[in-house]
Amino acid sequence: MGLEQLMPAIASMTWQDLVMIAIGLILIYLAIAKNYEPTLLLPIGFGAILVNIPFSSAITQIDPATGQAVEGVLNTFFNAGIVTEIFPLLIFVAIGAMIDFSPLFRNPSLLLFGAAAQFGIFMTMIFASLLGYDLREAASIGIIGAADGPTSIVVASRFAPNLLGPISVAAYSYMALVPIIQPPVIRLLTSKKERLIRMSTAGNYNKKISKKALIAFPIAVTIVAGIIAPSSLALIGFLMFGNLIRECGVLNKLSLAAQNELASLVTLLLGITIASTMTSDRFIRVDTLIIIALGLFAFIFDTFGGVIFAKFMNLFRKEGNKINPMIGACGISAFPMSARVIHQMGQKEDPFNYLLMPAISANVGGQIGSVVAGGIILTLVPLLA
Amino acid sequence: MTQAIEKALEIAGIGIIGVFIFMAIFYLLILALDTFLPYKEEVSAEGNSVEVETEDETQN
Repeated sequence: MGLEQLMPAIASMTWQDLVMIAIGLILIYLAIAKNYEPTLLLPIGFGAILVNIPFSSAITQIDPATGQAVEGVLNTFFNAGIVTEIFPLLIFVAIGAMIDFSPLFRNPSLLLFGAAAQFGIFMTMIFASLLGYDLREAASIGIIGAADGPTSIVVASRFAPNLLGPISVAAYSYMALVPIIQPPVIRLLTSKKERLIRMSTAGNYNKKISKKALIAFPIAVTIVAGIIAPSSLALIGFLMFGNLIRECGVLNKLSLAAQNELASLVTLLLGITIASTMTSDRFIRVDTLIIIALGLFAFIFDTFGGVIFAKFMNLFRKEGNKINPMIGACGISAFPMSARVIHQMGQKEDPFNYLLMPAISANVGGQIGSVVAGGIILTLVPLLA
Repeated sequence: MTQAIEKALEIAGIGIIGVFIFMAIFYLLILALDTFLPYKEEVSAEGNSVEVETEDETQN
């Protein structure tokens, strides 16, 4: 009896499988040792190992005895949770339950940074088209710039399921790398004088917000978004539904369950299910490297869009009422990491400059902006493709 | 310029303007809600301000 019969997995192992197992180990290392998005990168890393061992029963295999396909559990999860978009949309309910929109009510003009910092999505989409990707693939790659994992998964699973693995890995990896990506770009685009701008007069951060207004907001946003772009309703509606559960005041147990148990369980399933697309034959390709590079490009241009828009707004503002341009970079969806990074950058320049509150407002705007951008892409691409 | 790039430029143009329009509408929405539903201190019968919280009791 040969090795092939005794240990078929070892006999059939290719160098590509070994590379994927190494990638899985690196993702697990980054999750545990560096604390980079551990809730997602750890299941994705483990899943990458799980699906790249030859004849793994975790994914669909052809039974050599019968010649029939035996469906693996990860493929079952994929068909049930990703193809149907159930997992990412449930994550949106959880995220909605975690978001407090009151910082936006205290300084609503910062909401506009949530639009400006989506610039990277569209720039990356154009760049991906220049590289030869079709419109649907280019849009799916561009959406990495939403800095919002579930939005990336919804768009990619609809338009380019073949690229879902690298897009998800890029989206979550770069979200974790915001503290490394954003500061050099911001320093390049701003002067020291601009970074020293204080925003103590911007917004009224002690202002109390009416409970009724906070309850009405998610309902009104859903209706407005639904009327303008019905295709965006799955994304925006589930996010706002989660927020309504939080704000209504009569479903506190459900709100806590959405923020904790639902978020944890679905994140776990989402991560390991995405890994089912990370088989060596689909992942070890030049495309993956290009997508990873384009993801970085998207995050850089998001930061660029936000900072430049802040500088543009300052052209119309009086001295003493200017916006610290670093705040513009918080318009991405990576919450609260981006706000924290900007606050720390501000404190490094001037230990008495407290940018946290305006940074949080812009960052909450980014959470809405990324979902809106995702909804707009879901609406426009089928119309024009 | 290929058709795909032309369409990507078109989507990018409409998309970025669309995101700004959406956010501007939400901005106006916040201003309207803040105007029509301003914060009012809720006062209990004893005259103390209270924060009303209700627990959902019927969960399956």
